Amino acid sequence: MAAGASGIEGGRAAAQARERPVRRSLGGLLAVVRQIVGAPDYGRYLVHHAACHPGTAPLSAREHYLEFVSRRFGGGATRCC
Amino acid sequence: MAALGATAFALLALSRGESISAAWILCAGVASYAIAYRFYARFLALKVFALDDRRATPAERLNNDRDFVPTNKWVLYGHHFSAIAGAGPLIGPMLASQFGFLPGTLWLIAGVVAGGAVQDFTILVLSMRRDGKSLGQMAKEEVNSVAGVAAMLAILAIMIILLAVLALVVVNALRSSPWGLFIIASTIPIALLMGWWMRSVRPGHVLEASAIGMVLLLGALVAGQWVSRDPTWSRWFTWSGTDLSFAMIVYGFFASVLPVWLLLAPRGYLSTFLKIGTVLVLAGAILVVLPQTRMPAISQFVDGTGPVFAGKVFPFAFITIACGAISGFHALIASGTTPKMVMRESESRMIGYGGMLMESFVGLMAVIAAATLEPGVYFAMNVPSGVLGTTGDSAARVIAQWGFTLHPGQMEALARQMGEATLLSRTGGAPSLAVGMAAILGGVVKGSGLALWYHFAIMFEALFILTTVDAGTRVGRFMLQELGAHLWKPFGRTSWYPSIVLSSALIVAGWGYFLYQGVVDPLGGINSLWPLFGIANQLLAAVALCVGTTVLIKMEKQRYAWTTLVPLAWLAAVTLTAGWQKVFAADPRLGFLSHARVVARGTATASSARLIFNDRLDAALALVFMAVVLVVIAASAREWWLVLSRRKAPTVNEAAFVPSAYAAGD
Repeated sequence: MAAGASGIEGGRAAAQARERPVRRSLGGLLAVVRQIVGAPDYGRYLVHHAACHPGTAPLSAREHYLEFVSRRFGGGATRCC
Repeated sequence: MAALGATAFALLALSRGESISAAWILCAGVASYAIAYRFYARFLALKVFALDDRRATPAERLNNDRDFVPTNKWVLYGHHFSAIAGAGPLIGPMLASQFGFLPGTLWLIAGVVAGGAVQDFTILVLSMRRDGKSLGQMAKEEVNSVAGVAAMLAILAIMIILLAVLALVVVNALRSSPWGLFIIASTIPIALLMGWWMRSVRPGHVLEASAIGMVLLLGALVAGQWVSRDPTWSRWFTWSGTDLSFAMIVYGFFASVLPVWLLLAPRGYLSTFLKIGTVLVLAGAILVVLPQTRMPAISQFVDGTGPVFAGKVFPFAFITIACGAISGFHALIASGTTPKMVMRESESRMIGYGGMLMESFVGLMAVIAAATLEPGVYFAMNVPSGVLGTTGDSAARVIAQWGFTLHPGQMEALARQMGEATLLSRTGGAPSLAVGMAAILGGVVKGSGLALWYHFAIMFEALFILTTVDAGTRVGRFMLQELGAHLWKPFGRTSWYPSIVLSSALIVAGWGYFLYQGVVDPLGGINSLWPLFGIANQLLAAVALCVGTTVLIKMEKQRYAWTTLVPLAWLAAVTLTAGWQKVFAADPRLGFLSHARVVARGTATASSARLIFNDRLDAALALVFMAVVLVVIAASAREWWLVLSRRKAPTVNEAAFVPSAYAAGD
């Protein structure tokens, strides 16, 4: 019985282990798409903020988004003919 | 690879009056790109610029996770490509096809390899070594302030003409087309919804909002067919050219005044997805279908009698196709967002040189779409009604005189197939490109509606162009505010509302004027505006190459200065010849001034005074462009002479060397 349970458990753990790289690669793919189209990545900003400006409060998701698009689209040529 | 390229060129050159497979156009292009990238771009990277991965790039040194971000080279390649490529490389080759498909093919390939890609790569490297400085700043610091002011004026002028001509292309594509107008009109509420979603509902979830927007957009594409069939609804969405031009002007103004998150950013994301997706799908479809060419390789119109636009193959093929071969506008991107994201110096070769090769490839796809059209259909769609008359029969008679056939009822049948009221004289290149694309894409998915593909193609082009109109009006506004600050300080405050409204209105009025005149012009407007745009764009490229040459000489690389001097000399020859002919040519179809004289001699009507004024205005503009080219070349040549004769020390203003933490090739 116990062996069976651990078998199920073991199976689940193995399935999770198999799933994790898939989920990670999907997340990675989305991150790549975001960078190509020039979309903000709030998660990456939080990592950057924690590393470079420890002890200060990071921007909220909305503040980060608004600042990002106003920098990206707010001036200079972003599109060509 | 060389053998394949040589075979492809031989086949293209030897095929006279017979149909060949479009695959040979692609083969010639891809083989040439591969060889140029492997050898010439490598030579530029190693010998000329001496790129060094041990030197940290601005993205690494100044990383702020906003504009300075070290980015994987493949990702940055996609990002850079979607910033440089728009409607230009699709429209220019379509218009230039009146000369046959060979001149356009050869210029797209030769121009990019020796000119366009070199320009983009050079400016990218220069800006990357200067913390991402803009072209205007570099012209001022590396050449002198005269060149700096000239560069600024050139950018402002090209912006006005570019926006006018692109808006004209959209107006001509949507005029009397309820289906097309319905889709494009729906993009506004779709963009507002996306903007609200990304700001308030799920802040920053761009991909999610774009997916929603894309589904709604495809819904609008399908719903447009019902709109076009319903008598009441279709009347609502059938607009005249003048009404559409006013709508564009109002739209451009609001896009520049409203906060970016509301309209500009969501539309920008939507069009980026559509752009990358469609380019990939179209390339795949051409490879699957491998269409046969129907247009002649070289037509009789190389002698300058062409009905789409006036002028001989030299210089006008090289003016008409700017984007895709060499485009000065790219210098703004290559000295804007991209240099702040390069991770290692050596990667700028793939992004700068390789990115431009990809745009040239898009240009070749437009050449193929044009070449697979029947010549009769191509001319019926692209020649203004002033020449063809307004019925299928009158058009068939005119086209028969040129030696091409248009069967009775053929245009009417084609219009019905594409779900449009008429396809006669739909100038501007976008509708004929859409017909060509619909034939290619419809050939992959057998039995799928051509009308749906036609309007998909129209949507794709119009959305690109409107994104450029949004962004361009805003850039123009910022430049105007910067210039205006010299006259009155508060005007330069970019977030002060009165200044925003006034400067936006001035920019919109500038391009709106040319747009409106183009719409009411009996010869279609494209005939006069597109060459002006080409001249302005090549002029900006000449400015960029002058800056590049100056820096190479100051880097004491004068041995290699020919890499930028040769394309500069070619561009100077092309723009000055074309500019001169547009102003002074005796043929009233070609020369602005002789056209004004012909109008003045005719009976005076309400419109003749306006036509004469516009001819003179266009002539003055062409003269200003030529003067700017000459001033920049003279200012740069003086600088080259000073440095080469040792009267001035060869110093460059590169940022100091800081060792990179990224291992090479990691």
